[in-house]
Amino acid sequence: MQRQNPEIYEDRVVVRLVQFSVLWAVLGMAAGVWVAAEFLWPTLDFGQFWLSFGRLRPLHTNAVIFGFGVSALMATGFYSVQRTSHVRLFLPGLAWFCCYAWQLVVLLGGLSLLAGWTSSKEYAELEWPFDIAIALIWVCFGIVFFGTIARRRIRPIYISNWFYGGLIIVIAMLHIVNSLALPVTLDKSYSLYAGAQDAIVQWWYGHNAVGFLLTGGFLGMLYYFLPKQADQPIWSYRLSVVAFWAFTYSYIWAGPHHLHYNAVPEWVQSTAMVMSLVLLAPSWATLINGVMTVSKAWAKLKRDPALKFIVLSLAFYGLATFEGPMMAIRSVNVVSHFTDWTIGHVHSGALGWNAMVTYGTFYFLVPRLVGAELHSTRLANLHFVLALAGTLLYILAMWASGVSQGLLWLSVDRLGELSFGFRDIMAGMRPYYGLRLVAGLLFWGGTLLMAYNLFMTLRGRRTVAVSPPPVAEPWRLERGAAGIATERARA
Amino acid sequence: MGRGNMERGPFLTLLFDPARVFRELADAERTRIRAIQRYLPLLLLLPPACAALGGIVFGWRLGASEPLYLGTAQAVIVSLLYLFALCFGFFSTVALARWMGVTYGAEGSYRVYVALFTVVCAPLAVASLAHLFPHVFFNVLVMIPAVIWSMALLYRGLPVVLHIPPERGMLMSSALVGWLLVAAVSLLGISAGLWTAGLGPAIRI
Ligand code: HEM
Ligand code: HEM
Repeated sequence: MQRQNPEIYEDRVVVRLVQFSVLWAVLGMAAGVWVAAEFLWPTLDFGQFWLSFGRLRPLHTNAVIFGFGVSALMATGFYSVQRTSHVRLFLPGLAWFCCYAWQLVVLLGGLSLLAGWTSSKEYAELEWPFDIAIALIWVCFGIVFFGTIARRRIRPIYISNWFYGGLIIVIAMLHIVNSLALPVTLDKSYSLYAGAQDAIVQWWYGHNAVGFLLTGGFLGMLYYFLPKQADQPIWSYRLSVVAFWAFTYSYIWAGPHHLHYNAVPEWVQSTAMVMSLVLLAPSWATLINGVMTVSKAWAKLKRDPALKFIVLSLAFYGLATFEGPMMAIRSVNVVSHFTDWTIGHVHSGALGWNAMVTYGTFYFLVPRLVGAELHSTRLANLHFVLALAGTLLYILAMWASGVSQGLLWLSVDRLGELSFGFRDIMAGMRPYYGLRLVAGLLFWGGTLLMAYNLFMTLRGRRTVAVSPPPVAEPWRLERGAAGIATERARA
Repeated sequence: MGRGNMERGPFLTLLFDPARVFRELADAERTRIRAIQRYLPLLLLLPPACAALGGIVFGWRLGASEPLYLGTAQAVIVSLLYLFALCFGFFSTVALARWMGVTYGAEGSYRVYVALFTVVCAPLAVASLAHLFPHVFFNVLVMIPAVIWSMALLYRGLPVVLHIPPERGMLMSSALVGWLLVAAVSLLGISAGLWTAGLGPAIRI
């Protein structure tokens, strides 16, 4: 009956998306661990094409970003937009469609990568049939999300919804523009752009996918779940809104910092560099907002393992958003580009920020969805230690190998010849790749513990039925039968 | 002059009985604070000194077949910059922690903060003896346990010394860890910028 009742939030789709997200986390990170092991033992592909580095690596990135990340964002987006709009999801059936269709695309897309289909555009490797499917599902996601907001019963649109909304609109724009291509066969297409244009469009996409998905989308998660967990309002709501617009404005320009010293006009590179430096301000405004919000909630830390993940995720968010602008400076980038330093930066964001904030949110959310206690707080605490250790070890190893590589690539002897060859340098990096493998195993092990813990929490339980609480007078938005606001109460 | 306290507080207490040091700091024992502060210059000097010596004698081994040598003059300049960066890092951390302390209800004088961070950074400084043999991976291996040790000291010691509940201490320590990560990566970034500008190893762009 729950499905039909318009006065009850549609939370079962949230549970399902969380389950899929955890599944992709386990699988995607397993691929990451495998790829990390191939750096040490290249023969781990056992002569199979589909196990080779070139195919497993995009599988890793797609599974973690689109499987784990986007499923988590859909789940938390659907959950929070209902609560902040005081209304059930718009077209719940369409939300279920998004849920399953998305998983199907990630699954088949992943298999197609293993089969060797690729557009060769990073983070947009999937070929044109998948691109079309993604665009359609994304539009449905937007209809559910914005439809819910349009039918809200409360006047203000809470800040988390701005970030989720930004995620939906900007990713749609980026994906469609970047994927425009001429199909030749089912598994092959040619991009509409060529040469330097292609590069610029690709990194306009690539960087803003980082910006509006891995940063903005997860900030939406943070802005809803952090105040909930801390039982505190956002420290400065005004700051959050200002930061949102500043963030949206500045991110869009920063893409070409991925193309420093490339065949793109120098002014394009310089603009990107300056805008990347500007980005530090809105990024850290949010950081301060988050840190100040939790700072009042310390008493909760004693009982709640979830909050610890969020606290540390803020520290790594601060690191990644500081490191990024610094690496965007051309004289730093000339050393860091083409090295493991970039990989370290990626994973300080991906593990320390994206994964940690999601884990903290899941530990908070899942018990509430089924009205039970978390199966084991001890396991969650152990997971925390593993996640922290794994992240730190990953970053330290990549910093050391990255900086060494940067120096060695560029070293010249007295005659001005390069001092070292590529293969020698890579061979010298083996010890770091060993450390990274250990780090990955720690992090992945923690993720497995979480999967077990959440599974045991969910097992045999039903999603609790929650209905929207009444809205206080000055904020209420009255609606007629058609869902159109009929009467606007003024404060 | 508090000689008596000095005697029961040699350098090793700092490393191996930090709990006692923290309790004494919490009671704001003047002599104790002064005794600890006395180690600070040593701790700040140790890493650059070892780095300079190791770099000149052995050359930096980055994993390739041959070590990278710096000229003596260059090595000294780089080490002086390192010293400067460490001093800046240390005192800015103290200043930042005092500034943050207000939010977390921490109490303690400037000297107490200096002493607290002296204790916290002691394992890192001692581990920097590894710079004497500047093989990067060897240094990483030595530094990782030192980082863990220092972090444990920070999380355990901070709430005791600054008189705040452990949970609040956890938040403040994490905020500081965030800051220290940023400081560490800044050091990398500044180094890279200086190399590009021509200081340090011979690279061509
Ligand atoms: C203000 C924020 C940020 C700025 C300005 C920034 C800047 C940069 C720069 C300059 C690079 C290196 C480009 C190169 O040399 O090829 C990079 C790479 C990357 N960053 Fe960030 N970053 C920021 C935050 C983040 C965050 C929070 C994440 C989250 C996960 C992230 C994920 C990535 C990824 C995935 C790459 C690798 C791209 C590739 O495949 O080459 N960044 N970023
Ligand atoms: C157990 C955890 C993980 C391990 C062991 C791992 C390992 C790896 C490895 C070995 C690479 C290839 C690096 C190279 O080509 O030099 C890589 C790339 C990448 N990983 Fe992970 N990873 C993990 C988790 C994650 C997560 C959770 C995310 C995202 C949310 C992520 C995002 C990425 C991205 C975006 C790249 C491409 C970076 C670039 O092109 O610059 N990883 N990972």
